[in-house]
Amino acid sequence: MTAATASGFTQETFDAFLASRREPPWLTESRRRAWQTFLELPLPDRQHEEWRRTDIRSLRLESFAPPLPSPFPGEAPKGYPGVRAGVPEPVLGEGVELAGRAVALDGQPYSADLDPALAARGVLFGSLDELVLGHSARIQPYLLTRAVDPAYDKFAALHAACWSGGSLLLVPKGLAVERPLGVLSAMSPDAVDLSHSLIVLEDGAEATVLAETASTAPAAGGFHCGAVEILLGRGARLRYVNLQDWGTGVWHFAHHKALVGPDAALQWTIGALGSRLAKVNQHVALVGPGAHAQVNGVMFTDGRQHLSYHTLQHHETPHGTSDLLYKGALQGHSRIVWRGMIKVDRDAQKTDGYQRNDNLILSDSARADSIPGLEIEADDVKCSHGATVGRVDDEQVFYAQARGLTRREAVRVIVAGFFQQVFDRITLPRVRHALGEAIGRRIREFE
Amino acid sequence: MSDYVRVCRVADVPEGGQAVFEVGDRFVAVFHVGGRFYALDDCCTHDGGPLGEGRLEGFTIICPRHGAKFDIRDGRVLSMPAVSDTQCFPVKVEGDEVLVRLDE
Repeated sequence: MTAATASGFTQETFDAFLASRREPPWLTESRRRAWQTFLELPLPDRQHEEWRRTDIRSLRLESFAPPLPSPFPGEAPKGYPGVRAGVPEPVLGEGVELAGRAVALDGQPYSADLDPALAARGVLFGSLDELVLGHSARIQPYLLTRAVDPAYDKFAALHAACWSGGSLLLVPKGLAVERPLGVLSAMSPDAVDLSHSLIVLEDGAEATVLAETASTAPAAGGFHCGAVEILLGRGARLRYVNLQDWGTGVWHFAHHKALVGPDAALQWTIGALGSRLAKVNQHVALVGPGAHAQVNGVMFTDGRQHLSYHTLQHHETPHGTSDLLYKGALQGHSRIVWRGMIKVDRDAQKTDGYQRNDNLILSDSARADSIPGLEIEADDVKCSHGATVGRVDDEQVFYAQARGLTRREAVRVIVAGFFQQVFDRITLPRVRHALGEAIGRRIREFE
Repeated sequence: MSDYVRVCRVADVPEGGQAVFEVGDRFVAVFHVGGRFYALDDCCTHDGGPLGEGRLEGFTIICPRHGAKFDIRDGRVLSMPAVSDTQCFPVKVEGDEVLVRLDE
């Protein structure tokens, strides 16, 4: 198991990792460059604005190491045929007819399949680790070049150097993939996952991706340092749902970035339920005129969980629209930090940008920090934002109790209603249902 | 979890001094004033600032970020911009060891 052999992210473990991979020279070279950056950069400390509310003094990087091929100690999900039982079942894939599935366990590719009809039309889908060997030239222009910056911080560099167990979706020009594609990354206790998701939709292509991360046990520890890259060509349309349900001991660091091309549309929904501490940068760049992005987020925290999400809606070109809605419910001593920015470049006239963050505090010790921001250089735009932090309204509870609900039932109904506003924005009924179920499990556990 | 756990040795925090220690997955600011030890959560309730790095004046600790003040004896907030108390942990000294009881 990874934990037993872990000896930190050292030159020695990195060299062993590289030796285990036999990748194209450009990729090895890019890993080496990122490794140098990783060695040179300090761990972010709380002097840094992005990290001032996120305390990682307890993180012991030396207790993890780059993932090497090793037998997965758990068993895998039933919903994904050909995968052993024991890993949490993918919630999002449940009851959804998928066109393909890609599974990685402890940062190693486990299985992948794709409807042969789509493969015949040029769709690439499955393990990034495996596909990059045979389709190097198609993948190289997109991988860690245009979206996520490997030199952004120490975690981005570590990811770029040591990513593994990744997934790829590449849809050729003009092709609409009707059924969703499922991606699952699962991790056993104290393991490491540095998975990379790369999604490329060429001009006019359409797809839906349901991605999920989960631990094999609810309280499992571990280390995730990941990245998601989404590149949408002219008029492409992507629906992307990402559910993070790691064990409550997992350190979660991630850089997510989408480039939305001219007249392309992205609907990006995240669900964040797991991890001990999460620090995520979610960056949507509107890089073509008329690009549209809708970003939805639901979070549910408990215990001493700390989720920190930093979102950026960057309007680089005119006539773009972006609309962000994040909602969080907090129990126990948990904390959610959301720091959102709408940035409008000088040339991005006629931009329409909106961001909103609502938090529902369910205990005396939970805390939400909601920090919206605007940075506008153009002079003909419409941008606004809103943020709320509140508690369950006693009048609503009383109203429900007067109609026969217990106090606990009443609170659950109110919490469910609070999230409904996000679910209502998800146009695919099956996806809406699946995500609602995932959150619903948490709400049922709520007392 | 109501047992006392060891945070440091008496000699680690001289009279009039302060230091921050990691206990489990938490950070505890320990103060030594007037021959007694006090322990607070190393977290300002205003903005999460590192209280243990603040300036100590008598029994008052001043957050280094925005100047919020807390009483180290009970965690009570004494000054804006913080408006709620920070956590204060019971402390006892056994031999040359300082122990605290984290509430959960």
